[in-house]
Amino acid sequence: MTAVLRLESGKLVRGSLLLTGLLVMLSAMFFVVFPSIQAEAALFEDVYPEYLLVLLGIEELHTIEGFLGGYVFPFIWILLAGVYFAYVSAGMIVRDVRTRRMDLTLSNPVSRESVLVQKVAALWVPLAALNLGMAAIVLAGVAALGESVSPVALVVVHALGVPYLLVCAGVGVVLSVVLERVETAQATALGVVFVLWLVDGLSQMNPDFEPVGAFTPSRYYDPSAILVHEEYALFDAGVLLAAFLVLLALAVFVFVRRDIR
Amino acid sequence: MSVIRIDDLTKRYGEVAANDGVSFDVEAGEIFGYLGPNGAGKTTTIRLLLGLIGPTSGTAEVLGADIRDRRALTEAKANVGYLPDTLGFEERLTGRDALDFFARMRGDERREEVLELFEPPLDRRIETYSAGNRRMLGIVQAFMHDPALVILDEPTSGLDPLKQERMHAFLEDERDAGKTIFFSSHVLSEVQRVCDRVGIIREGELVALEDVETLLKRGGKDVRVQLAEPFDEGRFVTSEMIDVETVDSTVHFTYAGDPAALLEHLVGFEIKDVGIGDPRLEDVFKHYYGDEREGVPAEAR
Repeated sequence: MTAVLRLESGKLVRGSLLLTGLLVMLSAMFFVVFPSIQAEAALFEDVYPEYLLVLLGIEELHTIEGFLGGYVFPFIWILLAGVYFAYVSAGMIVRDVRTRRMDLTLSNPVSRESVLVQKVAALWVPLAALNLGMAAIVLAGVAALGESVSPVALVVVHALGVPYLLVCAGVGVVLSVVLERVETAQATALGVVFVLWLVDGLSQMNPDFEPVGAFTPSRYYDPSAILVHEEYALFDAGVLLAAFLVLLALAVFVFVRRDIR
Repeated sequence: MSVIRIDDLTKRYGEVAANDGVSFDVEAGEIFGYLGPNGAGKTTTIRLLLGLIGPTSGTAEVLGADIRDRRALTEAKANVGYLPDTLGFEERLTGRDALDFFARMRGDERREEVLELFEPPLDRRIETYSAGNRRMLGIVQAFMHDPALVILDEPTSGLDPLKQERMHAFLEDERDAGKTIFFSSHVLSEVQRVCDRVGIIREGELVALEDVETLLKRGGKDVRVQLAEPFDEGRFVTSEMIDVETVDSTVHFTYAGDPAALLEHLVGFEIKDVGIGDPRLEDVFKHYYGDEREGVPAEAR
């Protein structure tokens, strides 16, 4: 039974291409300004308040690895792509219920579990588009600047970024089965992912506050560590994957029990 | 064999009972009409039967599957067709793509055959469809996998009269071929025209369950006659006329007798204008199923 997966995948193509295009353009702009940032990196690190550096995970800004891990990936991947995944997932169920599409879908011999899982599985489309688009612009940007990055680290920074995005999607899906309005679900999902990102950054500045950050997904995905130090936190990625599965199970649990009104 | 068996089915939303202890069976090979005014609870029963909402108490079986057993009900749906009252299609798909989507889940061996009777513009996006075209696409998807049971919620709304008539004839053919059809409507004449047996629901409660012949007798006609004055009211009004209201030279009444006899009777008067139509469902309830406010069948009082 893959009819829902096929349909949902098709529906995500346009948005995924649009998102990837925008993020690639944004990344390209970052690469254009990199030489001037590189020249002034020491000044940046002096002038920027400590919290901003921590918030963005900025280290070794004068190297291409530090720039990618501290500037490009935190903005593009963790913040913007994370918000997109949460936003799109938050619309998945609630919109179909509101527009009565779910009635017709569920009149087929397909279980609610299967419908929800297939819808989430359709996120392979934006995942693939984002990975390909980002890999292409990073390779092109690095080459254009006459720099080089470890290909292994580049693969890892993408691969370990996927569980992070899935957690964002998980947040969205849970909201999508719990809340009754499309706009509310999507705005809440967007807000939650943004606040989690903010809490992670802020918690790192204050030792008393630090443990709170353990509940934010971005704590478990550190592009700077991967690119600058080549530290591959597979366990952290496992934590994210487990969190995603828990959120998905929670969404299924709620969805199969609730009334489709 | 009962295709649908409904047993004391109740659905409450807080204090409001959308379905209150509804019980009846739908037998194989019949067209069962589920009649009631808007908001009576028809759609609630249908959504319960499809497992879209869960019962507060009581239960039902669809093709032998208990509606509380999600797995069994999901399997049974391979053999059920459903035409909802509000058709939520994927608007950006063309009609053909939407049918392909449903076909992947439950087959479409009769798609071409049904498309010969109901012809939505398959190459156009559904967002450009008229209400009638949407309804036709809904009919095609409900029947294309040759299901044993088809549940239709207000199936002819939005269809032009010609297509409505085609739909009625189609349903009769399907019934003769052994299909079971559950047909909800708030239009009395439609149910009288096409159904074998009728369940009447009002305010969440089943108030009557009868053969359509009985209902035909009870339905009567809504008649308005404008006479050339003056006329003798005593001579005009017969015992078959109920709720007679006279304003100037216009008489308005419900006629419970044989329509031919009414026409013969009217010929004896000088008439300017006459209108004969179906009575409002509410009037039928008032006359035959007890007063609206009391909520009890007339026989029970």
